Formats: sequence, structure tokens, C-alpha cells
Amino acid sequence: MTSMINENESTAIEGEIISDSPDDEEKTIVAAKSSREIAVRSNDSALWFQYFAAPAIFLLVAFLGGLRLGAADNEFLFHAPALVCLIFALMLQVLFVRARLIEVDGWFSDAFPPLRNAANTAVMIALFAASMQVFNALIPEQGLLFWIVSFFFLWSLWTNLFAEFETKKLLVSLGSLFGMAFIVKYLILSSFVVPESGFFNALLSGNLTRETLTSLLDLPRYSAGTGYIQFFTLVLYLIGLYILPPVSKGRHSLPVSGKISSETGSLETIS
Amino acid sequence: MNEKYLQILSISMVAVFGSLIVWIYWAAPKNFEEISIKAQSTIENISTKTQVITNTYEVDRAKFDEGVKNFREENYILARDLFERADPERRDAATQFYIAYSFYRQGWGRVSNDDELFQKGLEQVNRVAALDKDFVSSDADLQLKTPVELKNEFEEGLKITAGDFNPLRILRERK
Repeated sequence: MTSMINENESTAIEGEIISDSPDDEEKTIVAAKSSREIAVRSNDSALWFQYFAAPAIFLLVAFLGGLRLGAADNEFLFHAPALVCLIFALMLQVLFVRARLIEVDGWFSDAFPPLRNAANTAVMIALFAASMQVFNALIPEQGLLFWIVSFFFLWSLWTNLFAEFETKKLLVSLGSLFGMAFIVKYLILSSFVVPESGFFNALLSGNLTRETLTSLLDLPRYSAGTGYIQFFTLVLYLIGLYILPPVSKGRHSLPVSGKISSETGSLETIS
Repeated sequence: MNEKYLQILSISMVAVFGSLIVWIYWAAPKNFEEISIKAQSTIENISTKTQVITNTYEVDRAKFDEGVKNFREENYILARDLFERADPERRDAATQFYIAYSFYRQGWGRVSNDDELFQKGLEQVNRVAALDKDFVSSDADLQLKTPVELKNEFEEGLKITAGDFNPLRILRERK
């Protein structure tokens, strides 16, 4: 990833422009002050996103990911993640690193103060928990379909691990993968499920085929609200990924390495 | 806001809400009402465990006294519930002895005993013996003062012998 920093702006922030004219000098000082304020404000909002918004979103996803509503009386059913969800979440973290959605050196460093490393660890833990719960939300809970969908997730993640990815492409790819899994589970499979169990109920209501499918595929009976909750969970997770910076922001940033472009006269940073 | 404060806020948020999420998935409340009930129960458990760790654990005297009152009024089910709540960690030999005794008195019958209650009583009296081998009850109302005597009653009550068919059994008295 390459970012361009305007040389004049950075010089103004440093306040090192020397001018012969007193008017020019005054303008330069005002410009330097406003540039510094904008930079500080921008850094403050980045810190809020990084240390408050992103972990708050990921924690919300971690909470909602396993929540289901019972078909009978909308009671809460908290479904703990299966072991396979932990493995997939770990693979996803590796994928994030490979696609430079997260740059390990930018999040953890000996040069950072311990508090910053600890806070960054907390953000990463929240991200891991959210990733795990997203898989928990999208993989069917039991039966043959659990293994079939898990296999497709494993296949996709495994092949992606060896592909060349950009951050944007990864986000689009994850969005489509999770979107497809959501459609399969909460639109297609849930349409097979009849709300009330029992052979005689099915016979009387004329839902014998659906009842048979529910039994054969071992589909759990949840209320329609579950799909809405999981939809927002998925959307929140993708928003969380979008706002997560690849490199942690802070006042004790690592020194920027780069070169001055001979054509534009601006600084090109290389990360 | 200062960067350090934000970082502390982030760590605290993840620790507190992370623990809360783990607790919710562990407790699995079915509705909003159950959340407060389970939270209260968890806090009580933690408080009792802390008392045990810090060696400040004591039986709830008020519940114990109420349990004894109900035991004397032959309301054994309520008495057992009160004794269990008075000693949730099952560490007090006197309270556990009363629970065992309540199984004996409730299960005792002039013609035949309730084997299920006697079996539970036997398990309970073994717990008393494990807590304090030399335990002797100071309650004058109880004829069986030690776990050994009570255990013998349970074991005899669970056996089927020729004496069980003796018609004079109906004349025996509960201890």
C-alpha cells in the first residue's frame, strides 16, 4: 500500500517555513496551526474508531452471532460455537494478514508502549471472537448440512490462503462468501422448516414434505427473527472490518520510510 | 481524549463485555427475566466461593433456625430446602446431619420405608461422616445423635429381612 503525503502540508505542520515577508509569515503560521488541528482531530477520530468503535462492533457481533430465537415463544437460545468455528476464525485471521487487512508489524511492536500493545491485543481478541461467531451464525447447527457447509467454508478459506489478495478484493470476496452462506441457511434451508413438529401436525396442515425434509436434514426450528438478527450481525461484522485500520494509529507511530518523488515533489511512504 | 485513556477504555471494554458474553452463553437465559435471576444466582455463588477461599464461610444462621423450626413441625421438604440454602457449600456437619435426618423421618414408615428417600439419606449421612467423623448432635429432640447410628438405621431400613414380615413391626416408633 502506498500513501502520498503532501510535502508542503507536512512542512507546514512542522512549522519550519521561513518567509521574508511578515504577511506571508503570518499566513504560514495560521496555515500551520489549522493543519496541525486538522491532523490532530483526524488522528483523534482514527483512535476512536480503532479503540472504541471497532471493538464495540466486534463485541456486538460476538454476542449476536450465537443468538437464536425459538420457534415456539421466541425464547433466547444461545448456541456456543463449534470447534470448527475456532479453526475457521484462525484461518481467517491468517487471511487478513496475508491480504494486508491487518499488518502485524503495525499492530504489535517493541517500539510501542506496553499499553498500546495491550490495547491492540484487546482489539485483535475482539476481532477473533467476532470472526468465530460469524461462522457460528452461518454454519447450520447440526446434522449433515453442518458438515457440508463446513467443508465448503474450509475449501474456500484454504484456497484463498494461497491466492494473491488485495484488501479490497478480500472484503468483497468475504462479503460474497458470507452472503451466500446466509442465503443458504436463512432463506433456502429455513423455508423447509415447519414451525410445529410432529407427524400429525404436519399431516393436518398439509406440510408433510416439509416436515420430512426438516427431519431428514435435522433442521432446527427457529423463529423468523433469527434471520433478521443474523443479517445485522453479518452487516456489522463487515462494517467492523471496513473501519479497522491496517496499521494501528497512535502518537508513537513507527518511523515512516519512503522517498521524495522527483516528479511531484511529494513523499511516497512504503509500508 | 487522551490516547492512553482510549486504550484503557478499549482494554476494559473488551474484558468486561467479553466476560459478560461468555457468562451469557454459559448461563443461557431464555428471556430477559431469567437474565436477572441467573445473574443473582451467579453473584451468590461467587460470593460463597470467595468466602470459602478467604476462610470466612459461615452458615446462614437465620435460614438454619428456620429450617430447624420446619423440621420440628415435620415439614421436611421445606426444612431441607432451607438447610441447603443455609449451607450452599455443604461444609457444616450439623446442617448436613439435619438434612440426612429429614430423609430418615420423611421416609420412615410403620409398615414399610420409602427406599428412595432412605437411599438419599444414606448418601447424605456419608457426607456428614466425611465432614466430621466425631460429629455428635446437640439436639435433644433427636434420638440418633451420631452419623453412625443414623447410617445403621438407613442400612437396616433398606435391607429386606424376615423381620420385615413381623406384624409387631407396626408397634415400633420412629426415632
